[in-house]
Amino acid sequence: MARVAVVGSGLAGFTAYQTLRRAFEPGEIAVFGTDADPAAVWRVRAGAIRQREMRSESDGHCLPTSFPGLAFSSARRRRSLRPLLDSALDRFHPTVDEFLAHVERLRDRSGWDESFVSRRVGRVWGVDGGFELDGDHFAHVLLAPGHPGLNVPEELRRDPRVVHAYEPHGYAPTVTVVGAGLAAATEWLNALAAGSEVVSVRRREPERWPLNVPRRYFSRRGLDGYQRLAPRERIERLRALSAPSYPPGTRWDEPLEQAARDGRFRVEQSVNGSEQVICATGFLRGFRHDPLLARLVAEHGLETAEDWLVLDADSAVPELSDGTRTLAVAGVPGQWAFPAADTLAGARYVAHRFLRRIQACRTR
Amino acid sequence: MSYTLRGRLESRVAALLPVLLGACVLAAALHRWWPVELVALMAAVGLALDLEVWHRLLPYQPAWAAIPLGAVELGVLLGIVYGLGLHASLGPALALFGAGWLASVLLSQAGFPLLRLGYAEDGGELGRVGGVAAAGLVLALAGSAATYALRLPPVVHLAAGVHQGPLVITRREVLQGAPGAVVRGGIVVAHDDVQIRNVTVVGGMNGITVDGVRGTVIDGVTVEGAKLDGIHVRLSGVVIRNCTVDMLGNRMGQGIDISFNMELGMSMVEGCTILGGQEGITTHSSATDIMGNRVSRTTGEAISVDEMSMGMASHNTIRDALGVALYCNDRSMCMFDHNTVVGTRPDAASGIRTRRGFGILASFQSEASVWRNTLAANPVASGTATGATLETTSQPGW
Repeated sequence: MARVAVVGSGLAGFTAYQTLRRAFEPGEIAVFGTDADPAAVWRVRAGAIRQREMRSESDGHCLPTSFPGLAFSSARRRRSLRPLLDSALDRFHPTVDEFLAHVERLRDRSGWDESFVSRRVGRVWGVDGGFELDGDHFAHVLLAPGHPGLNVPEELRRDPRVVHAYEPHGYAPTVTVVGAGLAAATEWLNALAAGSEVVSVRRREPERWPLNVPRRYFSRRGLDGYQRLAPRERIERLRALSAPSYPPGTRWDEPLEQAARDGRFRVEQSVNGSEQVICATGFLRGFRHDPLLARLVAEHGLETAEDWLVLDADSAVPELSDGTRTLAVAGVPGQWAFPAADTLAGARYVAHRFLRRIQACRTR
Repeated sequence: MSYTLRGRLESRVAALLPVLLGACVLAAALHRWWPVELVALMAAVGLALDLEVWHRLLPYQPAWAAIPLGAVELGVLLGIVYGLGLHASLGPALALFGAGWLASVLLSQAGFPLLRLGYAEDGGELGRVGGVAAAGLVLALAGSAATYALRLPPVVHLAAGVHQGPLVITRREVLQGAPGAVVRGGIVVAHDDVQIRNVTVVGGMNGITVDGVRGTVIDGVTVEGAKLDGIHVRLSGVVIRNCTVDMLGNRMGQGIDISFNMELGMSMVEGCTILGGQEGITTHSSATDIMGNRVSRTTGEAISVDEMSMGMASHNTIRDALGVALYCNDRSMCMFDHNTVVGTRPDAASGIRTRRGFGILASFQSEASVWRNTLAANPVASGTATGATLETTSQPGW
């Protein structure tokens, strides 16, 4: 009988599962989701923007420990020290194919399919010593619902030229890309490489961060200060950290500068007469867009701060976690605890703390 | 990795623990304390830099930074090691530091992340393991310090007054003389790690004999009236400092004679005053540094590096020597620098050409390098004989 449940079978749930497997057998964990392939959704999005390389570095993987990272396995496979040297210089970025192969290998050997239950969970209801998930009882539940949907600006929703970057698409001769994050930057280069003339529409200039957020927010060094912020300040910080960004480097800058000199790339303030408009505007934000989370908040009166669920530092829901049960949140809804919650490192952070809570539980 | 201060310190301490254990084993094997002292110093330097510099300077520390940080720490460490005179051999000391650095890199990049699930996101903090490691390091260092203290040689205080010798020392000890303590008839050192301090020795076949032992330190002694040598060292490693040897009237004995200890590492004669005798300070088949001594009125050679010795004579002052002042002989390799040689007298009575009053003489296939010596009022400033070479260079000839 499973004692622990993971709601969501995407990469955040999958990463949590790998950590849980250090303490539990596959039969003791239930993973609820709609697709047994943990990379199914992510693969489609990466394919849509023709992503060939991960933004994350060697530790952007689903294993419970940061070592051995993907640089290590890449070095072993290529019989070369180059990936390790690149990793030491923070220049190693696994290819998308390497990452997907890593997920596939882990899926095969971890017993994931044995734990997977093909069901969309509609309601989480707190009961004595645990939670009811559509009738099944679990003492400890991790919610990893993923992004609630693609975000298209209101004014563009009825425009027939519009396609979201994460939906499969080609490139017209003239393309407007809305947004300024990694997906947008990738699309600028994709469209230029396809011979298109590109207009970038952005509300603000992008940050140039190697990772989704500045590096200090991936460890306690930056997190301690962040987690001590008052709610209003934390909201402001989260907004600042949600700014569009893509990595620095000539790989991005040179093609754009060349295209600008050739008159094929320019920045404008609003959508113009391009034949195609690609919205690289990310995802819908906030728990209200996720039916499961919205219902959970409404039914249990959980504390929220604007778009965010208020969570403990270990990403547990304070009103529904105690010495006998745990409800924690992974992935993007866990940003209150960990600003880069929608990264693999963020998923691992939550997984480690979720397991720690379970192991400290009196009735485990 | 973005280390927290605690994480940085815990990682440092935990990574040093296996190195410290290795150093303890090495210290036991070598019967020397420098490996433990070196690791203790590595810990102190590393922790001080962590607290005062690295944590403030590096909010994020990429893996490659281990190389420049390690180089800085090595530089600081070597400066302190040589500043404090820890007598660590450079090669083994570098090897120990390298082992510590490598252990630290491997543990922080691979070992600790495997050991502790949240190592990276906890900023290098190790939880209970960190506390245990810190306790382990403190215990190991405290244990080493206690062992060191327990193994310190006993101090034998020699009261003022005359003590009839010869005094034969057959155990590790520090013989500490009170002002006015005199041993008549000589002292014989017959055990390793003996120190003789502030004692006056009068008479005896040799004033002080050191034979077949290691780690002897002779500091602040006065020797007078020895029949043969003032301080006679055979097959032994010694450090002789701040001594006074009066050999006036003894035409055949040597002030200090250190011979046949080439295999025992460097010996040292420093800050001594030698008066009279055939040779003031002489070495045979020995590697001895002769520094900052004052030698005068010798009848053979004032300072002699002889019989395949390798040695440096530096900053010595020689006056009124008969025949030869600085002598490099018999296939020895010598470096004579910054010495002052004044008033060497020709040994006309001997009728030997090489005793015409040389300030510096290299003889019989020896190789002498000289640099910035002050030679005044010597009949012959410098010269060579029987296939020896003498060259002016700032670099030693070996």
